[in-house]
Amino acid sequence: MDKHISSQFDAELGSVSTRVLELGGLVESQIRHAVYSLSQFNSEVADQVIATEAQVNSMEVEIDRDLSSIIARRQPTARDLRLLIAISKITANLERAGDESEKIARMVKSIITTGNARSLPSSELRIASDLASGLLRKALDAFARLDVTEAVSILKEDDLIDAEFDGFVRKLVTYMMEDPRTISASLDLLFVAKAIERIGDHAKNIAEFIIYVVKGADVRHIALADVESAVK
Amino acid sequence: MNTLPATKETILEVRNLNFYYGAFQGLKNINLDIQKNTVTAFIGPSGCGKSTLLRTLNRMYDLYPGQRAEGEINFGGENILNPKQDLNLLRSRIGMVFQKPTPFPMSIYDNIAFGVRLYENLSRSDMDDRVEWALQKAAIWGEVKNKLNQSGLSLSGGQQQRLCIARGIAVKPSILLLDEPTSALDPISTGKVEELVHTLKSEYTVVIVTHNMQQAARVSDYTAYMYLGELMEFGETDQIFMKPVRQETEDYITGRFG
Repeated sequence: MDKHISSQFDAELGSVSTRVLELGGLVESQIRHAVYSLSQFNSEVADQVIATEAQVNSMEVEIDRDLSSIIARRQPTARDLRLLIAISKITANLERAGDESEKIARMVKSIITTGNARSLPSSELRIASDLASGLLRKALDAFARLDVTEAVSILKEDDLIDAEFDGFVRKLVTYMMEDPRTISASLDLLFVAKAIERIGDHAKNIAEFIIYVVKGADVRHIALADVESAVK
Repeated sequence: MNTLPATKETILEVRNLNFYYGAFQGLKNINLDIQKNTVTAFIGPSGCGKSTLLRTLNRMYDLYPGQRAEGEINFGGENILNPKQDLNLLRSRIGMVFQKPTPFPMSIYDNIAFGVRLYENLSRSDMDDRVEWALQKAAIWGEVKNKLNQSGLSLSGGQQQRLCIARGIAVKPSILLLDEPTSALDPISTGKVEELVHTLKSEYTVVIVTHNMQQAARVSDYTAYMYLGELMEFGETDQIFMKPVRQETEDYITGRFG
């Protein structure tokens, strides 16, 4: 983007964008740790994930405060305004992706305590969780570069995670039917799978706001084919 | 957010308008429709032609030698650029308020009555009613009703500007042209004038030139962005300020112009 007449305004926009990327990095590591704690049944790593949540929350509050200040002082318009609105929404989505990883960590602890999930196919969540954390990383990269092509590809990839989720649920159901004693642990795993699926949705929401910043088109709640024609 | 009237009706039609200050061309082939009962704002950097365009709309430029306009400005079925146009009548239909308050050196009452007397022969009580009506409309009646015989120059800057607006609407024009009406006013007076602009549009059509982009965003339904004598972009204000079509407009309203 070209420079504003006020270089201070450029500095403020740059600084708040950097904060968003920092928050994104933190949430991304939270997700990776949550998934690791699940695959290793590691309670300490799960505790770390839960502890990071407070830091994520305070970063969200700081970013929102900076946004309010920029809006009040600069009265941004057009692309600047869209960027600030998008940052507000992206920050909220990142914070909620953090919440989901915290949920995963709490489930992992519950599974470790009850001790009866080890017979279940928890390692199969690996594919979906790698997809989800990879998608979030791509979304952050696309935001850093304001890359619309990448954002559109994220929307497509989220469908893969949704398909993985459906497959996993079907598998859990067969386990539960075979042995009703696995129902309680299966439900824990189901919540984990749901949390992973939600992280993918948050990455998708972030991608939609990148398109909004660059193209000025609001592509939420519309079919993928229409999105592709809107960004042309 | 959108407060546009339900039906569009063009009240003023600018076609292929060119304007010259001697050899210098100040406006280049302007085409623009002003919609009835709306507020249209002209924005752009200094020297872009926005005030020039405003001053062609009631031929205020005729007061200056060496200035001429070519093209058409159609209003009420006639091209007002026609040399036979009755200028006094035109200016009673298309009124103007200037950047600096310009009260006449006479009483507050006579500031309003002066223009009305040129066009209408009202009885004393009808004139009293008209003066009160105009001052009410301009949201200044409460502040001046007990001192109508005092000089208009005794008022504060913000009050003087609202007095001038009252004077402009007293002759019941169709269109009111405002040339940076608040650039000499403090934020409270500015707020009052903006509020006034908003209420006026139910009965009048307002065209406002402003240096203050946020003011254009606040008060107008349509915004025209001008640059170097050209109309770069014209559209609904929401669209211009959220998603302008042209990069030049975007650069200007986001403060990247330079």
